[in-house]
Amino acid sequence: GDDQPAVDPDAETETAYGNCWMCHHACGQELTVRDGTAVDINGVDEHPRGSAGPGTEGTLCPKGQAELEKLYDPDRITQPYIREDGELREADWDEAFEYTARRLEEFADEHGPEQLLDATSWSTTNVHEYFWGNLYGTPESIGRGRHVCFGGPHLSGNLMGLGANMRFVDYQHSDYIIAWGRNIFESFAGQWEPKGVLEALENGATLVVVDPQHTPTAQKADHWLPIEPRTDGALALAMGHVIIEEELYDEAFVEEQTHGFDAYQEAVADKTPEWAEDITGIDAELIREIATDFAEAAPAAGIALWTGVGQYAEAQKASQNVFALNGLVGNIDRPGGFRMWQGPPLQMNPFEERGIDLPNNAEGRQPALQLSPEYEDYPFRHTTGIGHTVVPEMVDNGHIMGMVNHYDNPLTDGSTQAWLEAIETMDLVITIDAYWNELTRNADVVFPEAIQLEKDTLINYAPTWSAYHDRRWISASKAVHEPLGDCKSGYEIYKGLAEELGWGEYFPWESEAEYNEDMLANIDYTFEEVAEQNFVLLEEFEYEQWEENGFPTATGQFQFDLDEEGGYAESADELGIDTAPEWIPPGTWGDEPDDEYPLHFYDTRSVFFSFGADQPLEHLHEQYARKHGLEGEDYRGNYLVMNPRDAEPRGIETGDMVTVETAAGEGDEPAMAYVSERTQPGFVTAEFGFGTGNSHEEGMNTMWVHDTQHDPVSSQVDRHLAAEIRPAGGD
Amino acid sequence: MFYFDPNRCIGCHACSVACKQRHDRDADADDWRTVSHLSRGEYPDFEEVPISMSCMHCHDAPCEQVCPPDAIIKRDEDGIVTVDRDRCIGCHYCAWACPFGAPTYDDEGLMSKCNLCLGEGPGGGHGQPERQTPEDGGPTPACVDDCVGEAIKAGPQSEVMAEATEKAAERFEQGAYGKRVIVEPLEEDADLADAIREGDEPAGAITYEG
Repeated sequence: GDDQPAVDPDAETETAYGNCWMCHHACGQELTVRDGTAVDINGVDEHPRGSAGPGTEGTLCPKGQAELEKLYDPDRITQPYIREDGELREADWDEAFEYTARRLEEFADEHGPEQLLDATSWSTTNVHEYFWGNLYGTPESIGRGRHVCFGGPHLSGNLMGLGANMRFVDYQHSDYIIAWGRNIFESFAGQWEPKGVLEALENGATLVVVDPQHTPTAQKADHWLPIEPRTDGALALAMGHVIIEEELYDEAFVEEQTHGFDAYQEAVADKTPEWAEDITGIDAELIREIATDFAEAAPAAGIALWTGVGQYAEAQKASQNVFALNGLVGNIDRPGGFRMWQGPPLQMNPFEERGIDLPNNAEGRQPALQLSPEYEDYPFRHTTGIGHTVVPEMVDNGHIMGMVNHYDNPLTDGSTQAWLEAIETMDLVITIDAYWNELTRNADVVFPEAIQLEKDTLINYAPTWSAYHDRRWISASKAVHEPLGDCKSGYEIYKGLAEELGWGEYFPWESEAEYNEDMLANIDYTFEEVAEQNFVLLEEFEYEQWEENGFPTATGQFQFDLDEEGGYAESADELGIDTAPEWIPPGTWGDEPDDEYPLHFYDTRSVFFSFGADQPLEHLHEQYARKHGLEGEDYRGNYLVMNPRDAEPRGIETGDMVTVETAAGEGDEPAMAYVSERTQPGFVTAEFGFGTGNSHEEGMNTMWVHDTQHDPVSSQVDRHLAAEIRPAGGD
Repeated sequence: MFYFDPNRCIGCHACSVACKQRHDRDADADDWRTVSHLSRGEYPDFEEVPISMSCMHCHDAPCEQVCPPDAIIKRDEDGIVTVDRDRCIGCHYCAWACPFGAPTYDDEGLMSKCNLCLGEGPGGGHGQPERQTPEDGGPTPACVDDCVGEAIKAGPQSEVMAEATEKAAERFEQGAYGKRVIVEPLEEDADLADAIREGDEPAGAITYEG
């Protein structure tokens, strides 16, 4: 684009690498550097995340390619800012460190470190955990998986024995894949997923997609089940019913490796396909067929489930019902089924490696959610430390008075209006980010971090699942060139701040690369050696690891019934639900459409945007517009997708501006309507990460009309609301 | 010659972005490689197929034949159709002649389009030496290099034919799409885009609109 420095076209080219941090799933990037400027970006062949595995080419999805644009984006924050006399102003690093240290000390004196919320999601190292937890002493941290992305399945997966990586199938070896509420060809955790599914399809595998909306994944499916929203749990129970009735389950596995089968059997006893047909809208015979074929293909049959069965109020129980099928057919950690991935043996505590005696200043400080009687109505306090939707209330109650963010924006993720007020109320907000938005503009300190391509990066965030189904791996890259402006790596920011706070002795590493080197202590490669090749494959790991290790649960077995999980059992008791699989109808906790708000309104993801931090990139919102055939309009916000049968009576056509309204009120801004048969009548959606509060403010913030709806078991934000859509006037 | 397999295309537009970035073109400029999404039917009997297209470097190059100042050249040495921007007068005749809607026009009013990554930028292929194979150090076209589903391939006809299924090759030989591009038939029993599946309609029926 226009923003790259001028390049001598005759200069020699060099190659540099990256590991994509746009959606943080680390597909390998190969950059062509000419005259010191990166001029092109491609994938890395055979990369564990960015290819289909050995002998295949690596590529980059649109997000990964657009990191090249981000590298030279003039809209990035490239200088520290501090708040003085109520205004944010530019500062140099010394000033910014000094200011922040003083504010942190004052905050600790006034409120105590336990009132600072650690919301540091997407750092490239884990140094922040030691900084805020061990040194500053905050016990309160909020993450993405459990709180805003897929809390229900995250909790069910962990408690049942599948772990938090309950999303991924051993695709290439699979004969039968069910993408359950997953659009694998558009929203993936690394391109190895769509590539793996394409390979499986070429090998003759069957693909089943369960989704109320027609997606690119549904297009390639053998069976698309256009299910009624939020009825996944009923479909899963009926499938279990058929599999048991037809005696197609893995008796040996159930007998030897599982806990609570009796309770499960009882739960599905009367859940016939005919019962489920009424609820799900899926033909009973088709349910029988899918259940039978899935069980017969097992163990080479897998279920890929992520946010689709993760972002509504009844999602914990729905996902428990689905995951139970894995235990039933015995596909767990067997080729072609659900895979228990193993990561590299990283030294996650580089302080220990250096023999540094790090204090634990958070010890004895308990999260307010578990201490204070104000939160007794929140059953999730037994299963998780905090919830996204309860934070504004905790701020009101004076239990949280400050926050530190690191490449994350809570204003995109639920209760947006209350969160905006909460940020205003907080005494201290520190952010590390690349773009201006309502969070960074309201912060007291803004630190500009170098993007992944500008620093020596070791991927230590969950480097497990990949196209190599039996190999551990590690991926790293060296900076392509100096950071834009005054940006620094995350490690250098924490080191600078630590020195100012008198903790310099704990930070002997000069750079992020040195810190990374100690993380590789247990691995036979240096940082330099890994970065030179971009990735290396490590030792193999076996299938059926449960044979030797059992499952990481209370009973050591795969658990259909969660009765032995203390926290869960307490939550279930308070809610009056079973610990075993159970049908929880939609609306039990979340919204159900009614006369006033007759439409289901859900937020979605496209292939162009991930966590709300890459929307400002022009190539992405331009192609997003072209995909909808709306590039001729000036508008570059998100689209409100609705069926013609809902649009016509409301006088809405593609290209009209429309407003969303829920019980929480009217949307922040109108969005452009895209009227299409791809979506179920009664079911409207919009891409999240736009509008007020976001770094790309055009369009509507899908969570502006969200109040506090959540899954009471897991705390997950319920992103599915009852709504009405009206023409906004104009176009 | 290009090859396209709609069964492997996931409709992600990586090809469009890769092309733009390789040729250092602005995000809002017209795409040299486009992805259109053809849809048909009422929910739930709905389908939507992504189609990625660009200049196909046709053997008979209709654009070359109509170009008044002879700015467009179908090169003998490697079959690539290039544009000499110094000769182009921006008359848009090539756009009328092209069955794929490939020519685009920038702020200067001059035509630019895919040059199979023979060169970089508008007009970048013109006057370049013969294209080398990737094995000999020649560039792989950006769209091919970054196709997530490996749905796009490019190369001399004999090489590309070797990658095609028997059915696709047979249709090509029978004259599908004017023998300008090899397209795999859709595998599923889709009721969409007969033109794509059967390959017996003029490829011009697949437009860039929408």
